[in-house]
Amino acid sequence: MPKLTIEALEDIRQKARGAPAGGKGRPARAVVNVHLGTCGSAAGARAVMDVLKAELDRRSLSDVLLTSSGCAGLCSQEPMATVEIAGQAPVKYANLTEAKIKAILEKHIVGGTVLAEYALGSGYEKTGGRPALNVRPGPESPAELLPSVPRLDEVPFFKKQVLIALRNRGLIDPASIDDYIARDGYKAAIMALTAMTPAAIIKEIALSGLRGRGGAGFPTGIKWDLVRNAAGGNGGPKYLVCNGDEGDPGAFMDRSILESDPHSVIEGMIVGAKAIGTATGFVYIRNEYPLAVEAVNRAIGQARDYGLLGRDILGTGFDFDLQVKRGAGAFVCGEETALLASIEGRLGEPRPRPPYPAQSGLWGQPTCINNVETWANVPAIITRGAKWFAGIGTETSKGTKVFSLVGKINNTGLVEVPMGITLREIVYDIGGGIPGGKAFKAVQTGGPSGGCIPNGKIDLPIDYESLTEAGSMMGSGGMVVMDEDTCMVDVARYFLSFTQDESCGKCTPCREGTKAMLDILTGITEGKGTPDDLVLLEDLARDIKDTALCGLGKTAPNPVLTTLRYFRGEYEAHILEKRCPAHVCRALNVYTIDPRLCLDKGRGCDVCRRNCASDAISGRKNEAHAIDQAKCIKCGVCADVCNFDAVRVE
Amino acid sequence: MVQLTIDGKPVEVEEGATILQAAKKAGVAIPTLCYHPLIEPYAACRVCEVEVAFRGKRDLQTSCNTKAQAGMEIWTDSERVLETRRLNVEMLLARAPAAEPLREIAKDLGVETTRFPVKDPNEKCILCGLCVRACEQIVGASAISFVDRGSERRVSTPFGEESEACIGCTACAHFCPTGAITVEDKSGRQVIHDEMFLGPATAIRVPIRQAVPMIPFIDKSACIHFKTGECKVCAKVCDRAAVNFEQEDEVKEVEVGSIILASGFKTFDPRRIPAYGYGRYPNILTAMEFERMVNASGPTGGKVLKTDGASPQSVGIIHCVGSRDENYHPYCSRVCCMYSLKFAHLLKEKTGAAIYDFYIDMRCFGKGYEEFYHRLLEEGTKFVRGRVSEISTLALTDKEEGKLVIRVEDTLLGVVRRIPVDMAILAVGLEPDADHNHVAKTFNISCSQDTFFLERHPKLAPSSSFTDGVFLAGTCQGPKDIPDTVAQAGAAAAEALALADLGKVELEPTTAVIDEELCSACRICVGLCPFTAITVDSEKGAAVVNDALCKGCGTCVAACPSGASYQRHFRDEQIFAEIEGIFLV
Repeated sequence: MPKLTIEALEDIRQKARGAPAGGKGRPARAVVNVHLGTCGSAAGARAVMDVLKAELDRRSLSDVLLTSSGCAGLCSQEPMATVEIAGQAPVKYANLTEAKIKAILEKHIVGGTVLAEYALGSGYEKTGGRPALNVRPGPESPAELLPSVPRLDEVPFFKKQVLIALRNRGLIDPASIDDYIARDGYKAAIMALTAMTPAAIIKEIALSGLRGRGGAGFPTGIKWDLVRNAAGGNGGPKYLVCNGDEGDPGAFMDRSILESDPHSVIEGMIVGAKAIGTATGFVYIRNEYPLAVEAVNRAIGQARDYGLLGRDILGTGFDFDLQVKRGAGAFVCGEETALLASIEGRLGEPRPRPPYPAQSGLWGQPTCINNVETWANVPAIITRGAKWFAGIGTETSKGTKVFSLVGKINNTGLVEVPMGITLREIVYDIGGGIPGGKAFKAVQTGGPSGGCIPNGKIDLPIDYESLTEAGSMMGSGGMVVMDEDTCMVDVARYFLSFTQDESCGKCTPCREGTKAMLDILTGITEGKGTPDDLVLLEDLARDIKDTALCGLGKTAPNPVLTTLRYFRGEYEAHILEKRCPAHVCRALNVYTIDPRLCLDKGRGCDVCRRNCASDAISGRKNEAHAIDQAKCIKCGVCADVCNFDAVRVE
Repeated sequence: MVQLTIDGKPVEVEEGATILQAAKKAGVAIPTLCYHPLIEPYAACRVCEVEVAFRGKRDLQTSCNTKAQAGMEIWTDSERVLETRRLNVEMLLARAPAAEPLREIAKDLGVETTRFPVKDPNEKCILCGLCVRACEQIVGASAISFVDRGSERRVSTPFGEESEACIGCTACAHFCPTGAITVEDKSGRQVIHDEMFLGPATAIRVPIRQAVPMIPFIDKSACIHFKTGECKVCAKVCDRAAVNFEQEDEVKEVEVGSIILASGFKTFDPRRIPAYGYGRYPNILTAMEFERMVNASGPTGGKVLKTDGASPQSVGIIHCVGSRDENYHPYCSRVCCMYSLKFAHLLKEKTGAAIYDFYIDMRCFGKGYEEFYHRLLEEGTKFVRGRVSEISTLALTDKEEGKLVIRVEDTLLGVVRRIPVDMAILAVGLEPDADHNHVAKTFNISCSQDTFFLERHPKLAPSSSFTDGVFLAGTCQGPKDIPDTVAQAGAAAAEALALADLGKVELEPTTAVIDEELCSACRICVGLCPFTAITVDSEKGAAVVNDALCKGCGTCVAACPSGASYQRHFRDEQIFAEIEGIFLV
């Protein structure tokens, strides 16, 4: 396969711009884009796709192009699809079913009338404060909007989002390199390889204020500079690594980027390779992300075919190639030294730093490791300039951050917001508040290394410093919202059980200490806690924070420390009053049946007695039922099955 | 050089030294568990934490791996340090309550018990990883590693099966600070007192304590470096840099006037007598193994111990193992009776056990030997006359349970007896060394029927061989004890000296001569000459006798088909003339 020149690549870009995304240059009257990320597929997007395909075939609609893209962001309303009629703004439909997509086909695609009741919005999302870049209308011209549906960038979920790392979300087919190129893809790579010196690239990144999106927030420009200037052992090579070992419970930012826009990461790494001076890079992806592994491998193959990876990239004389290394699923391999050990084929456990990977990383050579999201930001900074990027965010935290917004919240999904946005805006404006009218209690950020931020701090601006100050951390971007029904002791126990299970076991405090803390927390949730436990918990937490070997160990006590700091009363209720205020810790609950509700409303329906596992419930039909506390095993099934809320939990 | 303070004391250390090394220099003790000077720091146990104030920050650091830097202020016993150490040690105690070094550190820190649940009170492994790192960094085998995560972490071979990468060096056990790794010798040989073969058989050692010169050598077959290319621990610890891995064995040619052969013997391998159970049952030892055990510098420090570590209550010593036996060696090995008596005496002294000596005849022929035998009789050693037919572990009665049962026909009582003992010692006989035949061929030595080297004359020339200038000393000529060996060696040395003193070689007067006219160079004589004295001169087309080698045996004379070979002074004509003379009288 002949490798491309820069001119040939620009040709491809021009051609792809004139054609619909995913169309491989084929013109079409209408394009239907089904959003097929892992989340969409799980919600049934594949079935929607299949129905649509069958319908199009049946109707022989050859001028309608069916394509797919990655995650569209709003997970709670998957499956989603975007319909774009030539010359009109695209319309995004949500909560699709097979019946709905058939109706949309009939009315909108064939008939030309937008089905406003199913539509989420029309037009494009905001990308970094400038009109959206789209494939077909050309990057500069905003599409004509449809009056019957709200503008997409006015839909609450999307309104406050600014897309940089996710700039191609829902717009390109991850399997098509041409789609990516059409949306200014590989422009940054060309700039870096032809017009910029390594020092200029590093300066640009440093000026942009980009900080590591993996959690610790180390300034990327400084890191690159360190690696660039590190004397390689024996003058050997340097290495570039993309950390895609996303393991935090409830986090899926990296997965989404790798699946939906793999070329943005590859391009970022090409720029990084030029900056630090290396010819070899690795993309480390956990094997639990099969679609991501597939997407990245495919993208690397395409980039090689186009001569964007390999020897003499685009005829610039620069060599760089990438390979995917799959992780076996250990959370600790997200820690950079453990990740490097894993790539080397050694036991995935951290080692003391210093020396930092920038001095001595893979096989003892200077190595630059950045997170997926960091890499995805790089091309945008190079093409649009550091000044533009630095204009977004706060004084110390520039740009945007992708969060996976999950838990007790109406709009779960992937959100990219400018730094400095408040928690309130994320929870209420973007997230749409708490379902069922429940009260917001706390939000957990930073995964198992982070902490819980309480209601009182809901106006906290999100940046690296303020989160750390609040006892949590930015982390990779997991954001778990909790409502009044969440027991904070149980939450701490859950995260401890995660870190305890995922501790590599190398150093004493993490291996033994997290186990000891988990044992104590489990005891407290089972009503066996004593006031001394809180002292020991704090001692252990301090010890682990002080003496654990790696970042994962040092931050493991954070969920306990923050809950103790903000919700000490809940711990005390568990220990002193043997009561779980949120009624989550079932061992502490007392289940009773309100006889009046049972008889008056339910007429002694007997459902609870039949479902009781321990024969603790007495009573017959048309009689008030009662629970024998001596027999009750507190499984809570009676409360779950009672249709009349007659079972009281105290 | 780097200057810093430790507990207020100023210290100066070399660039690159760790805080731990600096503390050592300052005379400040810091407890460690996962640290070993020969292995890269691992910083896992977190017991060596110290408080470091540096560049405006003050926090806890592990001293084993943190480099000392100019201006650091370090505290090794601040309350924060001690509290941290106490808690980490307390947590480790819950994991490995039986680990002795850990308990000592805990005691020093004032930690008596642990508040955390103990899983196994006998657990010794503290997961310090020294074994894993020794296997990787020192041995270069990487046969073991950590498996599983978190609190389930443990050391194992791949999939918990015997690892092909393991070279059986036992370095892991040597580096284990708590004795959590034990070694089992499964290969062929029975397990006798594990350390017996593991302890002293280091790959670098002096051959024996009395060795001259007292210089260690490297046993290449046992040395890890020659298996994996790694290790070199001996070179690392030798501050004279005297260890040389390139040295090779050399073959040197030396010209000498005479040679004394003292090539010795080997002991009979009792595995050839399966009925004695050697190699199959524990606590059956050969004489050499027992000698090693009772040696004060041996693996048990001279204590007589069974494999379970207990002292035996009863011991059987079996004489004539491989000797005086038509199936193996018909000859008497001459030394076994006396060393067996010595064993009996030592055993009595060291253990007070009941001793049984199973003999055919007591052969106590030397000076003071018979008296020693009588002393043993008085000491209460039980002598049973008869050849042992079998040693087994098959118990027929409760008394025999768990014992070695020796079956023997007591020829004095005329009954077959079964005697249960805790330990059996096989008085193995002597036999020629493995390369005996090779030596014999090289030096042109004949062997007698018992396969030992044949002396020239049993009475008149007991230390000479049939080859001039080659003398015999010691057991290569036949089994004998140390006094006899020393005497024979003295005689051989005197004979060699006599030759040297003479300065010339006396030739046999009756050597053979070849008549070149008659010889057809058929080479029959060449093959027959036992002294390799005849060669064929191709120029002359005839055989030539080397007078210096010829012993005048006359073999060639009798064999020569053309009558070309004759013996000086014994020519046919001379013989015939003598015969005629006899008839004339």
